[in-house]
Amino acid sequence: MTVAKIKAVAREIRKHVIEMAYNAGGAHIGCSLSVVDVLACLYFNTLNIKPKLPHWKERDYFILSKGHACSALYATLAERGFFSPALLKRYMKNGSPIAGHVTLDSLPGIEATTGSLGHGLSLGTGIALSLKNDNKNSKVYVLVGDGEMEEGSVWEAVMFGGHNKINRLILIIDNNDLQIIGKSTAIMHSHPFEEKLESFGWKTVSINGHNINEIIDACKQTGREKPLAIIAKTIKGKGISFMENKLEWHGKSLTRDDYEKAIGELNKIP
Amino acid sequence: MRFAAIKTIYENALKNKNVYFLTGDLGHFGEKEFAEKIPHQYHNVGIAEQNMVGIAAGLALTGKKIFAYSIVPFVTLRCLEQIKNDVCYQNLDVTLIGVGGGLIYGPYGNTHCSIEDVAVMRALPNMKVVCPANAPETEQIIKQLMKIKGPTYVRIGRGKEPMPATSYTVSFGKGKIINKGTDIVIFSTGTILEEAQKLVQMLTDAGISTELINLHTVKPIDKNLILKKIRTRRAIFTIEEASLIGGLGSAVAEIVSESSKRNLVFKRFGVNDLYLKEIGDQNYLRKKHHLSAETIYPVIIDKIT
Repeated sequence: MTVAKIKAVAREIRKHVIEMAYNAGGAHIGCSLSVVDVLACLYFNTLNIKPKLPHWKERDYFILSKGHACSALYATLAERGFFSPALLKRYMKNGSPIAGHVTLDSLPGIEATTGSLGHGLSLGTGIALSLKNDNKNSKVYVLVGDGEMEEGSVWEAVMFGGHNKINRLILIIDNNDLQIIGKSTAIMHSHPFEEKLESFGWKTVSINGHNINEIIDACKQTGREKPLAIIAKTIKGKGISFMENKLEWHGKSLTRDDYEKAIGELNKIP
Repeated sequence: MRFAAIKTIYENALKNKNVYFLTGDLGHFGEKEFAEKIPHQYHNVGIAEQNMVGIAAGLALTGKKIFAYSIVPFVTLRCLEQIKNDVCYQNLDVTLIGVGGGLIYGPYGNTHCSIEDVAVMRALPNMKVVCPANAPETEQIIKQLMKIKGPTYVRIGRGKEPMPATSYTVSFGKGKIINKGTDIVIFSTGTILEEAQKLVQMLTDAGISTELINLHTVKPIDKNLILKKIRTRRAIFTIEEASLIGGLGSAVAEIVSESSKRNLVFKRFGVNDLYLKEIGDQNYLRKKHHLSAETIYPVIIDKIT
């Protein structure tokens, strides 16, 4: 798929995210918007998947460890054809299986339950270990937030992946430098990630997490001996001018005016 | 029991490449051969139990059958949220094996003892809880678990448990009658069975027809068997080397209290809701918690006479 087409898909995913948040009456927005371009690149370029056969045995896996950004994942899966976008209307509604955090078996294409931070990389490591032992070529991509890197369990998995040379494991850090109360670098300085991960035996690539070419290129840089970490610099709330880098849009209810303004901005993108 | 557990897993792993054993750097019982013969199925994940359970769940998501092993507190409470979210919520085929259930690590202090684990594991939806009493029970239960999917917690001892005088078989989920009797019944779980057997001998010698039932499977509990005993016996007692809050005694009490039987004598024996300031070996601590046959006997006599 061309860069222009991926950008157009990303625009549609962002529109779904805004609509889902508005319909839900309050959901995680800014953190979902920051991962949209990475998800669009993964699902429309990188991942070897068959949307109509979600359990295809030779597939690549993706785990959204920052499970609160699930609206972006649900929207991406819908756009990719795993299920009808009409299902997105059930997001966070009474009686629906589609929760405000990623839940296994709630929708086709979801590989693991996440929501509590610091779980996804271990889950992905287990999947990658299984694939490696079974001599499969599939890869496992795990997306974590930069704030999530404060969880100790992430570093247990980082240690294991480097030590055991889990070469088909790819960690993507959504590095938007904002967590709930403030800037990640001010609250708990877990950055810089590059030197730390390299000292644990990982290869690292640092990119602009909204540049389609850079994301696609980084995802190809898996090696034979090391797991790969992609540190993707992103903007929380990316794509909506009044949400970008605004702390309060981590999870705030949209008014009708907010909603119309946001959709209007997205509609102006070619 | 440790040797029986690891040996049984190894023998099954040799036959089935989907059976994996993970250890948080614990175990010195045949794992060298395991690691050398089938290295893909044996992984020492280091001293990192949260990651061990997460990896176990990830492996299970691809269809593997996982046994994850460490000392009880580290394979239960240390990684509790991984057990809840990754294993139980996703309902995956992961068995946690906790070595040193109860007070056996007493000389090492309360960090290594485990009195809370049965209650906590029992509270998790989808989780099954089994407390074998000795090595043969451990072997049989693990063999049976090879054909049973889903989250399971197996709480074993540390190796000094006596072998049964005569061999018997146990079935997952079904209580095992160890001693027949018609007047009162004692339900026991786990390695404290040896103490319960001494107690039964003392009661029998005193002319009280005492039935001893081994409820190795605490969840799902053998409700039909318990209801039958509620109907036909005049007194029920439970014995466990775990907290009085939430374990076997609580499970039986829940059934007793919801039954229509009146005038039933019922009492639980377990570890008191406290951390002792003094240490001691298993026998010493059983006495301190009033869990030895000698300390329980007069309480039962008092309750039924």
